[in-house]
Amino acid sequence: MKQKTTAFFKDEFNDLDEKGYTWTIRRLEGPSKPHVTVDGKKCIMLASNNYLNLANHPNLRKAAIEAVEKYGAAAGSDWSIAGTMDVHQELFDRIAEFKNTESAVTFQTGFAVNAGVIPQLAGKGDILISDELNHGSIIDGVRLTKADRAIYGHSNMGELEKVLKEASKKEYRRAIVITDGVFSMDGDIAKMDEIYNLAHEYGALTYVDDAHGEGVLGNGYGIGKEFDLEKEIDFQMGTFSKGFGGFGGMFAGSEYTVKYAWNTARSWLLSAAFPPHVAAVNLAAMDVVEKEPERVKKLWDNAKYFKKEIESLGFDTGYSQTPIIPAIVGDSKKAQTLANMMYDEGIFALAIVFPMVARDKARIRNQMNAGMTREDLDTILRVYEKLGKKLDLI
Amino acid sequence: MKIGFIVNPIAGMGGRVGLKGTDGVYDEAVNLGAQPISSEKALIAIKTLIDDYPEVLDDIKWISCAGSMGKNSLINAGINEEKIHVAYASDSFDAGKTSTKDTVKACKHFVDEDVDLLVFCGGDGTARDIVSMVKKNVPILGIPSGVKMHSGVFAVTAHAAGPMIARFVKGELRTGDAEIMDLDETLYRKGSWKVRLYDTAIAINEPTYVQVGKASFAQINDDEIKNDITDHIEEELDNHSDTLYLFGSGGTIDYIANKLSIENTILGIDAIYKKKNIGKDVNEQQLLTLMDSYDNIKVILSPIGAQGFIFGRGNLQLSPKIIRKIGIDNIIVVSTPSKLKATPVLRVDTGDEALDKMFVDYEMMLVVIGYRMSRVVHITSI
Repeated sequence: MKQKTTAFFKDEFNDLDEKGYTWTIRRLEGPSKPHVTVDGKKCIMLASNNYLNLANHPNLRKAAIEAVEKYGAAAGSDWSIAGTMDVHQELFDRIAEFKNTESAVTFQTGFAVNAGVIPQLAGKGDILISDELNHGSIIDGVRLTKADRAIYGHSNMGELEKVLKEASKKEYRRAIVITDGVFSMDGDIAKMDEIYNLAHEYGALTYVDDAHGEGVLGNGYGIGKEFDLEKEIDFQMGTFSKGFGGFGGMFAGSEYTVKYAWNTARSWLLSAAFPPHVAAVNLAAMDVVEKEPERVKKLWDNAKYFKKEIESLGFDTGYSQTPIIPAIVGDSKKAQTLANMMYDEGIFALAIVFPMVARDKARIRNQMNAGMTREDLDTILRVYEKLGKKLDLI
Repeated sequence: MKIGFIVNPIAGMGGRVGLKGTDGVYDEAVNLGAQPISSEKALIAIKTLIDDYPEVLDDIKWISCAGSMGKNSLINAGINEEKIHVAYASDSFDAGKTSTKDTVKACKHFVDEDVDLLVFCGGDGTARDIVSMVKKNVPILGIPSGVKMHSGVFAVTAHAAGPMIARFVKGELRTGDAEIMDLDETLYRKGSWKVRLYDTAIAINEPTYVQVGKASFAQINDDEIKNDITDHIEEELDNHSDTLYLFGSGGTIDYIANKLSIENTILGIDAIYKKKNIGKDVNEQQLLTLMDSYDNIKVILSPIGAQGFIFGRGNLQLSPKIIRKIGIDNIIVVSTPSKLKATPVLRVDTGDEALDKMFVDYEMMLVVIGYRMSRVVHITSI
């Protein structure tokens, strides 16, 4: 062996760093909410997935504390052996009710669902059909299968139909169309109705990753409700760590689909259950979404206002249809500079650069929050106007 | 970094006066009123480089030719004379005429000087001359200035060549196979306008990235991807041992054949049965005879040249009659993602309008881009 120690990682890290692919961790001092302190500086938060501002909601906090008192700090075992507590089971049932599916289960994270379940759903003689902009966890899940893989252009229904048509000639055992519900870089929504209709027409199944749609689409119930396809989508996965302000992944569908999934996904079988208070928080989150529908409405009001105003400043928001509203600036360096300057002005935002997006489509990803006031939004917009002019973007 | 820089001063002159090129018809072009255009195109490319990427200029040492074959364009664009080493000077300059011989001789000097990249301004004829000398030893980039530009080594425009040079110098681009195409002179003399594949070269292209972290990406080199595609094709051959496969022309198919230890003709069509070459560089008639003996026939192709042709460029042996016999469902197209990025559309020009229309009506094909991995690509005629 040529490399007998880990010293070479220093070079490899430095190489990544030079290319700008490393993360500088910004530390939040206090809870995640619209106004935060980041590395000692007071900022408006534009980079969190906490869409409904539930991460610091009193009901969720209370649920966590009470669950710790009742169940202790941890689950103590794998889900499959002795880690599943009654509060976890209550959560499984509640998800199924909330998503209007026969059954549901939770995983450690959304990533663990995609990377663990997708490889179990298809094997040799099957085909997985995937949107080119699907999330990295789907890509990894798809890579782990022995099935054929076909990629169609982003939300291009003509291309999807072509794949389905070609696949139907080859006598595959099963075909599964996999899509993000909300695409996280552009904030656009999958054409779920058309995807379902096409899949149905050609005898394919559908799998949707609703991570950014939970708590956001369908009055908070997600993409199934948004398109009235709760029973029709075969595999629904999502996460509690974004709109719901909680933590952990979920998988929902028919009774046997769900049973099969957790009995075969190694990311479930070989992982400890998440702590019981996490389950309690997730349960409380779904209650709040139902009891405080004004949160979802406020999130969308904020998104509509911000999108209209930032566009009127001259920024391109791309294909955004959701509370993810990119401000496309083009050049990667400029996007990074803009994000840094925004931080100096008290706005915490994330620059998304090449190769995460096309070379000429680097951007700031603005993520709305139901807890933001009109004044917050106007403050952000004023900063955009000032810096946009300074950097010759508008 | 050493960059060889050569301008074919007469390239492209034939185009505006309705000639199919300037090869051998320079006097005719001049009599028809043709003006030199290539030095202007070269100037645009180098000026773009200087204006938009000043940071790379210090890293470049230009190895060029005297006068209108290179140095003039560099100087006029604003390159410091100290940065230019003239490796070749020709007597033909004074007459304003240079020939194939000059291009080839200059390239010999570039190879001797060990250049890292060869930038040329010209068309398909110039590319052919260059590759005949440098082979696959030096990556080449064409500033488009010819009448014909079917080869896969050209930047999209003269402006686009500037950033490509800069990004290559910065190490952001990779090298990959490209085809050198040109008018088939024999057929042309018989009055037919057909482009054929003459050679393969090394061009520079956008690397393919895979996401390895949330924001970290790794470049995969083309060979790794071609190995994946080879695995896919090997499985295909193993699963259909009763099928006759026709291997198309070009670098990608040749790579696959070599990996599978199957004899192959890089510029021609080969017939493969049970992983053995049973027909080397076959012509249309040989193909038709062979095909009579097999019930199942498939063809494996890779898009060719700058425009992404799968039929009609570099593989005229695959005549309309043969293509119809094979059937559209038995055509396997393979490509590396970086090549697809450069030619995002597949094209056909079979010479049979009805057949071309059949492909156009088909709209899209699934192109194999990895092991059991394909993606949808649109298809059109010329």
